[in-house]
Amino acid sequence: MADKRLLDMSGVRKSFGGVPVLVDVGFHLDAGEVVALLGANGAGKSTLMKILSGNYTRDAGAIAIDGSPVEIRSPADALALGIRMLPQELSIFPDMTVAENIMIGAMPRKGLHVDAAAMEARATQLLKRLGLDWLSPRTRMGTLSHHVQRIVEIARAMNGNARVLIMDEPTASLAAEEVQLLFDIIRRLQAEGISIIYISHYLKEVFAISGRVVVLRDGRNAGDFATARTDVDEVLHAIVGNRVGDLYPAFSASSGAGDDVVTVEGLTVEGWLRGVDFTVRRGTITGVHGLIGSGAEMIGRSLFGAVPRTKIASATVGGKPYTITTPGRAVEAGLGLVAAERKREGIIAMLTLRENLSIANMPLFTRGMTVDREKEATTAAEWIRRLSIRARGPEQPIGTLSGGNQQKVCLARWLLGDLSVLILEEPTRGVDVGARQEIYRQIRQLADQGLGILLISSDAEEVAGLADRSIVLAGGVVTETYEQPTDASALMSAASKPAVAA
Amino acid sequence: MSQHVNTTAAEHKAITTAQRSRNLLGHPYAGVVMLLVFYLILAAVFTTLSPYFLTFKNLVSIGSNMAFIGLMAAAGTPLIIAGGLDLSVAAVAGISGVVVAMCYANGIDIWVSCGIALVIGAGIGAGNGALTNGLRLNPFIVTLGTMSIITGLSLVLTGGLTQPLLTEGFNWIGSGKIYGMPVPLLIMLVIFLLIWWVMAFTPFGRFIYASGGNPEASRMLGIPVDRTQMILYVVSGLSGALAGIIVAAMLGAAAPDSVGKHLLTVIAAIILGGTSLFGGRGSVWGTLLAVLILGTLNNGLTLLNVSSFWQDVTKGTVLLLAVGLDQLRVRSQN
Repeated sequence: MADKRLLDMSGVRKSFGGVPVLVDVGFHLDAGEVVALLGANGAGKSTLMKILSGNYTRDAGAIAIDGSPVEIRSPADALALGIRMLPQELSIFPDMTVAENIMIGAMPRKGLHVDAAAMEARATQLLKRLGLDWLSPRTRMGTLSHHVQRIVEIARAMNGNARVLIMDEPTASLAAEEVQLLFDIIRRLQAEGISIIYISHYLKEVFAISGRVVVLRDGRNAGDFATARTDVDEVLHAIVGNRVGDLYPAFSASSGAGDDVVTVEGLTVEGWLRGVDFTVRRGTITGVHGLIGSGAEMIGRSLFGAVPRTKIASATVGGKPYTITTPGRAVEAGLGLVAAERKREGIIAMLTLRENLSIANMPLFTRGMTVDREKEATTAAEWIRRLSIRARGPEQPIGTLSGGNQQKVCLARWLLGDLSVLILEEPTRGVDVGARQEIYRQIRQLADQGLGILLISSDAEEVAGLADRSIVLAGGVVTETYEQPTDASALMSAASKPAVAA
Repeated sequence: MSQHVNTTAAEHKAITTAQRSRNLLGHPYAGVVMLLVFYLILAAVFTTLSPYFLTFKNLVSIGSNMAFIGLMAAAGTPLIIAGGLDLSVAAVAGISGVVVAMCYANGIDIWVSCGIALVIGAGIGAGNGALTNGLRLNPFIVTLGTMSIITGLSLVLTGGLTQPLLTEGFNWIGSGKIYGMPVPLLIMLVIFLLIWWVMAFTPFGRFIYASGGNPEASRMLGIPVDRTQMILYVVSGLSGALAGIIVAAMLGAAAPDSVGKHLLTVIAAIILGGTSLFGGRGSVWGTLLAVLILGTLNNGLTLLNVSSFWQDVTKGTVLLLAVGLDQLRVRSQN
């Protein structure tokens, strides 16, 4: 056993500006082991991994590889030791070929030139190792689909003497069958003796792929379980401590019975949606489930006026006829949308929490010609309390909050105005378990207060756990409609149904 | 035991001091304070080197000479913060003077002529805005293009010749004084105050920061990003026209190429003032201080008989230094 021990980190400490982020954390890894590293946002996972990959230096503690102590002072040190990190966001060069993307860090040279033949041969070899024999190294990266680009990134990480691969939320935007493909690749690498550290918020994936689960909480070790001998409850408990109840709030007796606040007929988006009809009811959570590419991801934003080339036969909002034009008009009609890509479409990172909260509702905070900052500040303080947002205060720049807390602000900003329908796209993507529970509770509470909620999610469990009624999309059309809560397996099988030709 | 307690107390103190200085550096106005300190040091150096520097007359002349540049930089600041850029502003100033002179020469009332120049400036701004927003073209390319067109047109209209423009009421704008303060300086300060007020206190000001900070998110929130930028392009065009009128009034003549060469100073002042070229961050007071610093540098070096060729070198060095320091400051917060 001892001779298999590849990596051993012990007593690792790190503080930022006097705030301890890691306290005596230990972490070890055997050759060919897949270890899931779990923890709520802010638990210290990323800090620990950044220390391992040389992006941060530790304050105290020891790191040993193959039993002998090593110093990792820079990313270059980590690379030389065979430690590779797959970033959360894609980092590709869309206009270069696959081979160039794989070899970018270590281009083989012939004199002053790039040795194109050697580069392609090496890339082909790496792709083969990952089971991607069909992919030509000369393909332009930008023409590949998202998950294939992901796999090319893994090939890049495997170049050289890779021994440890750190994957941070690798499935964040992959559909179910693409996740399977990724898992196949992980198993291949594992068989070669490469160790994987797998960071994810999706427990189902963690249980499917990992051999061991390591949990951090508040910068300390909070659990180390053999995956085969533990269950979701035990792991969840370790992640959130004794804060857990049920992840999803109970369904309300009254919901599902409200009148229609949105009716849509014949919603069409070129290349995405083909004549979709649906309704949203007052006081009810209406779920929309579909895999990536099913068109589900376009339903909310096209209704909101954020997608060009949207056509619609007829629609009403709050009983009045509604035509799709711009997000500004949608807001005036009483719609609000929390976008899936929070960093890109949700927050304005440089502005403060207070400013992000009020920005979509300026008329509420305007007195005469000027902004009423006091009212903004008291409103922000109130929402920080109501949604238990973890922030230093209203003046903290929103970019420095954790994902879950940013999402709470994105949610809160629509609750200020005179809203009748709230569209939520992937409301808990990249959000830790603790904050997820809080967000789910808030969504239910909003529905109970009479808001119509359209919940769009590629996570079937989320739709099953939350929606009073739901529709499932595949291939741009509705494949199934449920007028009452349903279970995840029904949703998943409806989502993978081949679409009926229109 | 007691020793242990002492250590942690000392540690704690060190931590809070470090944190406090970090918080101080991270304060939105820290950049402006840094500029102010830099300006005071610069002024102190020139005061010791030249007895003439620290006289009311000299300080006022710095302000008055920089007024037209400050005016364009003031209007350019919110535009860049909102994610736009106007390289044509100095060229607009050039054609504006020419338009006033030519209208006046053709018997049109001088104030009506000024009005025509302002309308043309606003129109060019609207054109820049329509091209960047409507066709989704890069503002650098669009305004580089319009800059070239306008500069060329000014030369075509005048045949490259300077147009005399001497009429008493009009020249007062350039050389008049109110309580000893030159009119151009006062106009510039009023514009700065107005733009500061809009940016800091009105909903439109919020839209400026939001539009540049994250245009996609802003659109998803129903913020009128395009309209915000359009208005700011028009304001920038207007500022160019007004700057051109002031320069023509100061010189008593309209030279087609009189302002164009100052474009780099305008952009340099905005960047030196801490405004991010990528949008979302900046303040108009930083720009004002930067204008003062650049003006003082010019003036001081002239007083010290340094060749004007060296002045461009100094200007560039100061700009790089300041931007480098600001980058260090922003990075120290993370």
